[in-house]
Amino acid sequence: MLFRSLARPTRREPISLPSLVLLGVLLLVIGYPLLLLAGMAFNVGDAQALVPTQLGFANFVRLLRHLEWVRNTLLVSAAGSVIGTALAVVLAWILYRTSVPGRALLELLVTIPYPIGPLVGALAWSELASPRGGLINSLFHALTGSHASLVNVYSVPGIVFVMALFETPVAFLMIGAAMRRMDPTLEECSAVMGAGRLATALRVTVPLMAPAILSAWLFLFISMMGAFAIPTILGANSRFYVATTAIYMLFEGYPPQYPLAAAVGLVLIVFAAAAVWFYTRALRGKSYAVVGGRTYKPRLIDMGRWTPVLLAVVYAYILVALVLPLGTLVIASLQRNSNLTFSAASWTLHNYRYVLFEFPTTRQAVVNSLLLGVGTGTAGTALAFILAWVIHRSRGSGRFALEQLAMLPQSLPRLIFAAALLWMILALPLKLYGTLFAVLIAYIIVFLPLAYRSITGVVVQLDRSLEEAGRVLGGSWLAVMRTITLPLLSPGLLAAWVLLFMISVREVSASIFLAGPGAQVLGPAIFNFWDSGGLPQVSALVVVQTIIIFAALIVIRAVSKKGVAL
Amino acid sequence: MLMHEAGADTKEDSMPERRVFIRVTNLEASYHGKPAVRGISFDVGEGEQLSLLGPSGCGKTTTLRCIAGLEKPTAGEIAIDGRIVYSAEHNIDVPSERRMLSMVFQSYAIWPHMTVFENVAYGLRVRRTHAEAVRARVTEVLRMVGMESYIDQPATNLSGGQQQRVALARSYASLPKALLLDEPLSNLDARLRVHMRQELKRLQRESRITNLYVTHDQEEAMALSDRIIVMRDGLIEQVGRPLEIYDTPRSRFVADFIGAANILAGHALEHRPSGATLSVGGARLACAPREDMPIPDADGNYLAAVRTVYPELRRERGDGADNWWPGTVRERILLGDIVNYVLEWPGGTLRVHGFPHTLFCEGESVWVHIPAGRAILIDADGD
Ligand SMILES: Nc1ncnc2c1ncn2[C@@H]1O[C@H](COP(=O)(O)OP(=O)(O)OP(=O)(O)O)[C@@H](O)[C@H]1O
Ligand SMILES: [Mg+2]
Repeated sequence: MLFRSLARPTRREPISLPSLVLLGVLLLVIGYPLLLLAGMAFNVGDAQALVPTQLGFANFVRLLRHLEWVRNTLLVSAAGSVIGTALAVVLAWILYRTSVPGRALLELLVTIPYPIGPLVGALAWSELASPRGGLINSLFHALTGSHASLVNVYSVPGIVFVMALFETPVAFLMIGAAMRRMDPTLEECSAVMGAGRLATALRVTVPLMAPAILSAWLFLFISMMGAFAIPTILGANSRFYVATTAIYMLFEGYPPQYPLAAAVGLVLIVFAAAAVWFYTRALRGKSYAVVGGRTYKPRLIDMGRWTPVLLAVVYAYILVALVLPLGTLVIASLQRNSNLTFSAASWTLHNYRYVLFEFPTTRQAVVNSLLLGVGTGTAGTALAFILAWVIHRSRGSGRFALEQLAMLPQSLPRLIFAAALLWMILALPLKLYGTLFAVLIAYIIVFLPLAYRSITGVVVQLDRSLEEAGRVLGGSWLAVMRTITLPLLSPGLLAAWVLLFMISVREVSASIFLAGPGAQVLGPAIFNFWDSGGLPQVSALVVVQTIIIFAALIVIRAVSKKGVAL
Repeated sequence: MLMHEAGADTKEDSMPERRVFIRVTNLEASYHGKPAVRGISFDVGEGEQLSLLGPSGCGKTTTLRCIAGLEKPTAGEIAIDGRIVYSAEHNIDVPSERRMLSMVFQSYAIWPHMTVFENVAYGLRVRRTHAEAVRARVTEVLRMVGMESYIDQPATNLSGGQQQRVALARSYASLPKALLLDEPLSNLDARLRVHMRQELKRLQRESRITNLYVTHDQEEAMALSDRIIVMRDGLIEQVGRPLEIYDTPRSRFVADFIGAANILAGHALEHRPSGATLSVGGARLACAPREDMPIPDADGNYLAAVRTVYPELRRERGDGADNWWPGTVRERILLGDIVNYVLEWPGGTLRVHGFPHTLFCEGESVWVHIPAGRAILIDADGD
């Protein structure tokens, strides 16, 4: 299990009404799409029907001819998640356990690539390191006169590299949180016992962090299995297909081949489930509370003459994951055409005027994404709060199931789940397809685990007696909620709200199938724009999106000095 | 604040001459510019059991961590076994792992991802000891602390007292040059604490390893140490053998912190090398000799400490001219093993420990005697 904040219930109690209602709703929006997906995968009848007309294994047999989709997915996710996690361990150790200077700022900079997102990363890196015309290769040619290319991001290593870069911050936050909660005397004791710094890190720190490291790895692995933007943008040239790009192709082809897409999706979900199983097994017997509730202020290790080396590692990461990508895109967005030149005549602001005012599609997308961000933030926070409240503050059975169900989307590759959500939207008799509302529903469900996780942290910390004191003094349930509970929780709720806002503004995978003419959204709009060429304008749109995210980041820093728990 | 050296008055007892093993000179340490240790010097002899005793926040842990190399001092010098491991002046700072020490932490710091065996073997393994030798040594030290049957248990299955024993075994296993202990017993309940105190004493005797022990519990310090360093506010207040500190506290702080004492204030009637006499209320109190006159309190009065166990209570006046007074028992509290009295005497009120073999009643008139050697002139705490 990816997440468990409750003990398994031991005694049977009757299920409460709120739990029942929530269970019903979650089963509808999470269970039903999965059911549709499974049915579709076995549908060998009418390929356009949402409910199978005839069952069989033909789709899986067809899939046998495309096994490289699954193989490629597993390859890039496994490599990317291992590299990303390792990088996160190194960065977290440097920034949380050693006394390198400027840690507060570096910590912030290291986390920014996450909200900026993989789509931006892929676009920027294709600009930087494409074999022909990439900035780095051009520079190399200019300097050496050679015509060989130095780097090629349109390759498997390139895809793995960019994926790892942009997922590292999540793992960094998860592992960093655990490192900060570790009892520092466990390390100090090792030093006094004669172990050097490296030996202490390898024999004590890393093993103690194993549960956190493993859970970060799992998160990355599943998230990379569902990654869409990076493999599509970087793999298109070399016709390197992973499951998500295959599913996208099957959807976009005419006629769409839903059953084969569903079969691919189902196979990946099985692999994701296997990863979860492996994770649970590996953690068995490791549930020691190294990281108790108490927060220590650990003594930071002075690495002496190694400090510059460690700093160089952090700077290098910030350079390749933040400075270079954003810098390239800002420059590209100010150019008249796709070939970056630095002559005075090539600079212009026209692209911004174009995407913000002249071109209706992108103008709409910016406005819609802001609306969606606000909507997802508000509705997602509210739903997660209600769930957290019912699960942690009420009695009755069913709460364990509720929590597992709420966290389930985290174990599903994002794009595949998005496909299932599309089928649900189509199957529901509400005519939601093509509206912004459909995208909103998808976002709320897809980001529910994240919202629930961050709000549960806040709810659990709130001492029950503070509310009870209010009740004893005669406040009604509602009055206590309004005057005591919500004010105490508000910083945590606001932080969750901003987090949801940011990631909805930059999301692609969850909305690529649902956004369309009636509902333009930034992420898919950027992607489609890229698909049809026009790099300067795409870059301008990306910069706009990034500015929105930066504004949200500033708010989140102001709200919670410590950053957000993911 | 004055610093006192034990030096002069230790010769009366037969303390073996020890080689200096740890030497701390003018050590200073601070956290974020706020001083925690403000310039202390002391030696620990080879094989000696030395305690750092003092109230919470006086800098004991900081001192110990500086010696272990876990905290970086701001000034001073530390030498272990003749080798300088820290010197601000010469810019020397040997890292923890090369100081060949061992430490027992207040939280035990048992590694939860290892078994008992792996915990205890750690120090040997990182020093690349042969596997068979490791096994033998681990078994030996676990037997020493009575934990050999837990050798293959995961460390998370242990109770507090058992973790404590494993922590001790672990620190003994690698045959360190010296053992540093930071309040190792403070997380145990009272009964277990007394038991473990005796165990520790036994281990010390068996291993003869140099021990530097930090505690705020005077009983522990008394029971476990050859010498005690009493600290206050980052400075050393007094150094001495346990009984010496108990019998002849140098200051009001030490007299109050260790044991129970009456603090009597009066102006000095005379001060000669053979002793001083204070006028305490209506009583002339002859005190034990002290070379220098102590620091008087804010009112110009001198202070004498009288341990509550030393005054004698009689029904008749005893022999000797000095320090006998008539008094009245105001209060009697029978505690079982001992009896607490509050007396009224010409000097005011006096608390006295008696024993149940001779009981006095409340209101009874008695004679009270304070042996001159038991009235100790002490420094008032000026600050
Ligand atoms: N990590 C730290 N950061 C800041 N100040 C500290 C830190 N550790 C100790 N101090 C301060 O330094 C002073 C000395 O602390 P130290 O821990 O050495 O005291 P102690 O004698 O061991 O007390 P205790 O008996 O409570 O353990 C105290 O005023 C304490 O507040
Ligand atoms: Mg301490």
